[in-house]
Amino acid sequence: MGSTLVSAIGFGVVLASIIAIAAMGFTIQFGLTNVLNLSFGAVMTVAAFAAYLANRHGVGGWSGLGVGGAAGAALTLALGRGVFRPYARRGAHLFEMMMVTLGLSLIVNYAIQALSHNNIYQFVVLPSTPLHLGSILITHTQLIIVFIAIGVLIALISLLQLTKVGKALRAMAADPDLARACGIRTGRIVVLTWLLSGFLCGLAGVVYIINAQSVGYTTGQLFLPLVVAAAILGGAGSPLGAVAASLMMGIVTEIVAAFGSEAYSTVAGFGILVVVLLSRPGAVRGGETGHTQLTL
Amino acid sequence: MRSRKTWFAAAACGFAVCATAAAAAAQVSRTSGGTLTVGGVIALTGSSDFEGQNQVGGLYPALYAINKAGGVNGDHIVFKGVDTRGDPADALPAVQQMLATTSGLVAVAGPDTSSAPTIVPVLNSAKIPMMAVAGESVYDRNTAPYFWRLFPPDAANGTAMVLWAKKKGYTKIAAVFGTDSGSQGDKPGVIASAKALHLNIVSNVDLTPSQPTYLSSVRKVIASHPQAIMTESDATTAGTFFGELKQLGGLVPIIGTEATFTSPWLTAVKGALGADFLKDYTGLITAPSKVTPAVKTYQHSVTAVKSKEPSPWQSYLSNPFSITYYDGMIAVALAMVATHSNKPTVFNAAIPSVTNPGKGKKVVYTFAQGKAALLAGKKIEYVGATGLIDFDKWHNSFGNQEAVMSTSSLKPIAKGVVTAKQIEAVPVKGA
Amino acid sequence: MTAWSYYIATLTVYFGVNVLSALSLNLQFGFAGVVNFGYILFQAVGAYIAAVVVLGPSSAFQQYVFGARLPFGVALLLATLAGAVLSLLIGLFSLRNIRRDYQAAILLIISLMATQVVQGYVPLFNGSNGVTGVPRPLSSVPLSLQGYQWAYAGWVLLVAALAYALVTWLSRSPWGRALRALRDQEDAAAAIGLNVTALRLQVFVIGGALAGLSGGLLVEYIGAWSPDAWGYAETFVIFTALFVGGIGNYRGAVLGVLLVPIIFLELPRFLPQVGYPGLMDSMEWIAIGAIWMLCLYIRPQGIVPERRNRAARTAAADARPARESVEVA
Repeated sequence: MGSTLVSAIGFGVVLASIIAIAAMGFTIQFGLTNVLNLSFGAVMTVAAFAAYLANRHGVGGWSGLGVGGAAGAALTLALGRGVFRPYARRGAHLFEMMMVTLGLSLIVNYAIQALSHNNIYQFVVLPSTPLHLGSILITHTQLIIVFIAIGVLIALISLLQLTKVGKALRAMAADPDLARACGIRTGRIVVLTWLLSGFLCGLAGVVYIINAQSVGYTTGQLFLPLVVAAAILGGAGSPLGAVAASLMMGIVTEIVAAFGSEAYSTVAGFGILVVVLLSRPGAVRGGETGHTQLTL
Repeated sequence: MRSRKTWFAAAACGFAVCATAAAAAAQVSRTSGGTLTVGGVIALTGSSDFEGQNQVGGLYPALYAINKAGGVNGDHIVFKGVDTRGDPADALPAVQQMLATTSGLVAVAGPDTSSAPTIVPVLNSAKIPMMAVAGESVYDRNTAPYFWRLFPPDAANGTAMVLWAKKKGYTKIAAVFGTDSGSQGDKPGVIASAKALHLNIVSNVDLTPSQPTYLSSVRKVIASHPQAIMTESDATTAGTFFGELKQLGGLVPIIGTEATFTSPWLTAVKGALGADFLKDYTGLITAPSKVTPAVKTYQHSVTAVKSKEPSPWQSYLSNPFSITYYDGMIAVALAMVATHSNKPTVFNAAIPSVTNPGKGKKVVYTFAQGKAALLAGKKIEYVGATGLIDFDKWHNSFGNQEAVMSTSSLKPIAKGVVTAKQIEAVPVKGA
Repeated sequence: MTAWSYYIATLTVYFGVNVLSALSLNLQFGFAGVVNFGYILFQAVGAYIAAVVVLGPSSAFQQYVFGARLPFGVALLLATLAGAVLSLLIGLFSLRNIRRDYQAAILLIISLMATQVVQGYVPLFNGSNGVTGVPRPLSSVPLSLQGYQWAYAGWVLLVAALAYALVTWLSRSPWGRALRALRDQEDAAAAIGLNVTALRLQVFVIGGALAGLSGGLLVEYIGAWSPDAWGYAETFVIFTALFVGGIGNYRGAVLGVLLVPIIFLELPRFLPQVGYPGLMDSMEWIAIGAIWMLCLYIRPQGIVPERRNRAARTAAADARPARESVEVA
């Protein structure tokens, strides 16, 4: 019983690392723009395919991470400026924006399905041997993924706390009007947000398929709710919060899988999202002030 | 608001007009050029879309072989996909639309397991022969005259797997099945047969498809110390699960259902297991692995239509489902030649006469051979790429199953036969 | 011609069922401002309940709960009740005053969770394989197969017409006016003593009942029901129908149902096959997404009646008598 619990926690940390990278990207984006971007998962899949195609053309192994990140950044910027901003300019509010992202996710997901001819493709980065850490049994690849997540967290926190750009980001997330009034180049900051969150989104997509060892149009479809839950639970705009929340989601999911059934572990994760959405402050339906404003 | 509604009403009328015109055009083509159609009632999209790929993978080569030998009674046959999307609510209008608008419809490949209970009565009352791939055991005692099944029921495959495991001396089995409908359809047969033959199911794991990890399930399986794993799931899930199983040092021999011996699954698991895959995986399939003239013709036909086959086309060279569809189509075409008729009401009953063994029948292995023999006045027995076809009085024909391992190019290597008699002898309850 | 007749009869049945769905969503969305992105779940529960109470006891072939052999009329009532009960349970915790995009996401996630639970827990409704073999109501009546299908289509249209009458009557009643007050000026409505939460819950439950009824009607026609038939994206098709036809407008809802699920989604079947089999289906969904985004672009602030009416109200505050509402359904 004890060793099952410990090993479930270990697995939970691995799952959490995968969720965390995506959640950190989502929370940066959501914290600043306030768009509940449900096409985030579709962008992850596109980036995963980009990494797969690069792999097929000789760009090997872990550099696929860079390819996926770049693809995610580029696509997110294009969508942010080319799709979300025009809708916001035409008067879309929070809810309509979410619907826009839903429609977009339909288009992108089914376009991926059409282009990939409904096939799935192999993606093996490095065959791996097991690693025993007490009663925790994971693979080398998974350990590397955990370190990547930690690295991303450190880099992100450094960016936000130690750099001028980071300060500007935080200021805009807190109060965009005041930030603008203080002379912060808000347009540029939004672009940076798209690029940064898109890079993390793409990175997460590639990490996902490195662990899953294959990529197809269904990759990550059930993953997005876990990511959104972690991001919102951890507090919009807070990478540390996203990581803490991801840890909780990952561990709870794996504990349910270990002691109950694998089939219900996702239900547990989704349930957490529902509870989070119902109870977060800032969730109250209100007027068009501060937290409920779109910043695009 | 009013003008917008008028616009939309006009658009609605426009759509209706276009639909009628298209339908009328479809009707008119009857007289122009002797083309017959076989409908593919199968999931072409959705979570079971691999079933559609298996089907076209076998039908295109069949139609190639038929049309190349001059067609049937002067007419060519073409394929038309009718997407069930894997559920009966979508299947019903799709099939009814097909019946309404397809001139020259002579047969249907399908329906699939999920839509069969709804669709079989519809096609039967429309008097269209169906080469069904429905796996439910209820069709073992089928009474619909237009229903023909060359695939074994799902339960039979499970029994074959258990018999094979017993032969290899395994007594402790782990059952690892996806929660998708295909895998869940095959699972009861495995469990019930294991019980009947006194094999011990030490762990029973259901995998939700497309999860990022299955570590907890892997651990459960390892902790139960099985001697072998019986499995079916979709390819992505299998790749992730077995990859993690191997990486955690728990890999044991794998016995897969027939659905695992298809390219996506084999590719995914081979990628995950590397060299161990060749050593540890065995699948139970219905098609014979040794090359007969029928198999050679089949493979030649696949190569000839490779640009139309779903990718990768090579995988259909030894895909047991595709091969079965091929044989079914050839048998139907031969029945049409034998009765000199393209009318299903005329040739349907003649299908067993061109396949079942009998005295004085000439054995043929290809459509061309069969056609030539029939036109010369002989009676024929078509032995297909799946081997002997012998329809019983319930219009089922399923023969032996074979345990095969895989080469690195995903071709089957025969390891042993499990006969139909052995399968039938197992007292399986339910399923 | 006979074959056409079967096909059109089926489309008519689907049309009637979708009209019930659209009315339900319109009621919940256009009047109560609840975005029920989990709608399909309520239709599914009605279908499942109607199926299992007619199928007889669970067997080795298919497992499910509540096996019984009740007559089809009772089955329909139970389906309606199931939809209502499930909406009550879900509505009790999810209809709070939270931001609308969160609420929509919650309801969507709930329908996803339900799919996972049904697929994972096979004894509930036979998992991914679903339930089959549901007998047709009144199959002993001596009608030809074709006659039966058209009779059933007529029956479904009758139910849809009754539902239409019901929702329009409700909209014009004092209860309906209270709803519109709730939708347009929620704080004022609460201030004058309207129980906002109770009203919203009532609308949600009535919508859920209609949804359950639609599921029961559907399953009694098709004879089978499985998770693939109630994917979360089916809800979006009905929403697209509402966008196209006009939110808050019952006539528009019917028109939208005709245009989107019936004509637009059936049309590709008549087109010659392009590309690999299954490509057309992906293109259809891309088109639905595109229509969705187009409608949002054309009227981005018009999707939510609340906002439109508030603007109209402030503009015309003095010009109209207070009781007249801007949006008459």
